[in-house]
Amino acid sequence: MNNWGIALDLGIRLGVAVMIGFFGGLLLDGVFGTRPLLTLVGTAFGVAAAMYTIWDVARKAMRR
Amino acid sequence: MVGALLASAILLISTVFVRRRGTLVPGRFQSLIELPIEWLAGVVKGTGGKRWAEFAGLVIAIFLFVLVANMIGLLPGVGVIGTVVETEHGEQELIPLVRAAAADLNFTLGLALISFVAFVAWGIRANGLGGYLKELLIAEPAYMTPLLTPIHIISELSRLISLSMRLFGNVFAGEVLLAVILSLVPLLVPIVFLGLELIFGFVQALVFALLTMTYITLAIAEHRQHGTGDAHPGEAPDHSEASPAPSRA
Repeated sequence: MNNWGIALDLGIRLGVAVMIGFFGGLLLDGVFGTRPLLTLVGTAFGVAAAMYTIWDVARKAMRR
Repeated sequence: MVGALLASAILLISTVFVRRRGTLVPGRFQSLIELPIEWLAGVVKGTGGKRWAEFAGLVIAIFLFVLVANMIGLLPGVGVIGTVVETEHGEQELIPLVRAAAADLNFTLGLALISFVAFVAWGIRANGLGGYLKELLIAEPAYMTPLLTPIHIISELSRLISLSMRLFGNVFAGEVLLAVILSLVPLLVPIVFLGLELIFGFVQALVFALLTMTYITLAIAEHRQHGTGDAHPGEAPDHSEASPAPSRA
């Protein structure tokens, strides 16, 4: 049942991670006036966080 | 908000009823209340590890609350009876008296925050505050910290957002779907979609509760991997569930 929950969770977390990075970067760009630099950096971090999430979930699932 | 209050009232009244009139051999109403609790307690016991009893109450409470709130959203009159107001653009808009609680992002975000605080708190109890912050903020090898820390933080925050958005999206989409179908074919056909919404309401409540349990279990399991302080002195680490600690990349 745990794995079922993790599988349901993983898909949406990937999208959400990219969105957090993108909107976080957009917000910081607005604050510092560096548009579009921080938006791009934030999106890159978001994509990296999505990949990290897959790896992290797989690692923890294998541990259990 | 009214939907959430109604769900709370139903659960509170049911609790008081079972506490006062509960019998060893349950009647129909008592069985109706006990059945989901016993079933989910069995699930938590089976998959929640040794310390399942500590968080079973929270998981079951979240499940019942979301389930009842979702079921209230399917009652006749919910979402369609209210006051009509005129907007700034001259259009008429219905403000429902009661609507499905989870069709409001405030409700789902609030629940997700409770869940988030719970699994962070269990992580801190298991690892200690220093251990938790080290896990979150300091990467191995240390020179990767500037790169990996934002990634860790985004990954943690994605749990909170995904929990709230999933429940909100499903329930809100269900509400819109029912409204569209009712306006297109008012007879018979909506029954099929109401049936589907019943199933989705149950599944979404279960998913929310199970993910809360999964996150808490992972927070505790992580502590076992690192072998740091324990909130429960005297309890032996559960090596049956966790293999010897591999290093964290």
